[in-house]
Amino acid sequence: MMLKSLFKKENKIESLIYEYLETLALSQESFLNALNACFLRGTMCEDFDFFIAQTHKYESKADDIREEVNNIMYGKVLIPDARGDIMELLSCIDEIPRLYEHILYMIHDQRIELPDFLIADVKDLLRISLECCDLLIQETTALFKKEGGIRLFVNKIDINESHCDHSERRIIGKIFESDLNPFDKLQLKELILLMGDISDQADTCSRLVNIISMKRRV
Amino acid sequence: MLSIIGGLFLGWSLGANDASNIFGTAVSSKMIKFWTAAILAAAFVVLGAVVSGQAGIETLKGLTTLTLKQAVIVSVAAALTVSIMTILGLPVSTSQSVVGAIVGISILNRQLNLGGMEKVLICWFTTPIGAAAISVVLYYTIRAIYNRLNINLFQSDMFIRICLIVSGSYGAYTLGANNVANVTAVFVSAGLLNVFYAALIGGISIAAGILTYSRPVMETVGKKLVRLDPFSALIVVISLAATMHIYTVIGVPVSSSQAVIGCVLGVGLVKGVNTVSARTLRNILSGWFLTPIASCLFSLAIYFFSQLQFVSPAG
Repeated sequence: MMLKSLFKKENKIESLIYEYLETLALSQESFLNALNACFLRGTMCEDFDFFIAQTHKYESKADDIREEVNNIMYGKVLIPDARGDIMELLSCIDEIPRLYEHILYMIHDQRIELPDFLIADVKDLLRISLECCDLLIQETTALFKKEGGIRLFVNKIDINESHCDHSERRIIGKIFESDLNPFDKLQLKELILLMGDISDQADTCSRLVNIISMKRRV
Repeated sequence: MLSIIGGLFLGWSLGANDASNIFGTAVSSKMIKFWTAAILAAAFVVLGAVVSGQAGIETLKGLTTLTLKQAVIVSVAAALTVSIMTILGLPVSTSQSVVGAIVGISILNRQLNLGGMEKVLICWFTTPIGAAAISVVLYYTIRAIYNRLNINLFQSDMFIRICLIVSGSYGAYTLGANNVANVTAVFVSAGLLNVFYAALIGGISIAAGILTYSRPVMETVGKKLVRLDPFSALIVVISLAATMHIYTVIGVPVSSSQAVIGCVLGVGLVKGVNTVSARTLRNILSGWFLTPIASCLFSLAIYFFSQLQFVSPAG
């Protein structure tokens, strides 16, 4: 109890990190809702705007939390080593909600519609990519709560990331084999590559969590 | 009071320089605010000097018998050695410069306690080696405890910071206890001060150095230790304090800078990395020989000049 009051700022950072991870999960849910509402059905709809706004809201909230964590840490809280590790990790994870937002804006602004023959593959790609993010959230929580099993999370995310890479190449192959016009092909290819970046980023962050965990072993 | 100015200057410079060995890591990495570290260090140095400084004072007092004039010469010669070697950027130890100056005067007095001198020399040479051995033992012991705690990143951070404050305070206590003899022991030998006042005045002069001039030294010198990971840096501080404590019990003032190098070397041995350069080891060796020789020569020279008398041409 006394220690808790002595290290108020450290406790604040810890609770902000958990809040950040919850916000990340919410932005992921909103991102998936947006895609399920319209895009994965092959058409655009009104709900899409609502879910984009929702995803943007969570992405901004995640940014604000990260900023707050950084501001507290710039006030010389924590040992520099731990400070640097947390800043680097949050900066890495923060790319994921940015990708969600980027993908939704791209679909919205460029009026991209998904051809029927790609729906199943894209759904599969998204499912595994988002599973990587779920695992990353669990892995990060395990790091801060010292629950163990980090190596297991790293392996799972790595396997999922490889699966996503195969899936991504297969979808791009199908796009260029199809009768779509060249402009649509390039547009869809760019979108699929962005979707593939989600699992890549989750994998990068997962490895970083592992390094941070290993650094703490004496 | 004027007679002990040389000693007070030595104490002040000792506080300004050696506090960085204890709190440098924590302050330069902003883990502890400078003023928190400085106040803790100053308070514990005075406490250490008064409570446990007697043994060191008795050892240096017992090396030779000094008159008040000779005691002043010893402290001025030692202060001069420390200042000149610091200005020249050469490694210097206050303990070694004081003993060097005492030896200079004892040559003139033809009276040196060889048994006491032998004890002092053995302690000097074993300081870095002993510190390295202690840091190896403490690294393995504390690592075993730390790993059993199974604490997360934030708890680990708290653990290391609390331990740095506690061990830093303990280190300051042992610094005061061990090194106060360098500051005022010669005045006890000359009969100017009793042991209690010598310890109190010496402790206060070291504390004054910490409070007034240790900040730049802590912020620059401390960064050398920050290159170690936080756990290793903690082990270095604890080992340094333990080393200084052992030599305090033995009753010989030793160099905290040489002890800290030994501790870093010990941690490096455990981790299988080269933490101390050949240049640093050369500096220790030169410190062992150059400092006492220079100080001895200064005390002889000052004594010689103090004996010169004006002779009137008419007389």
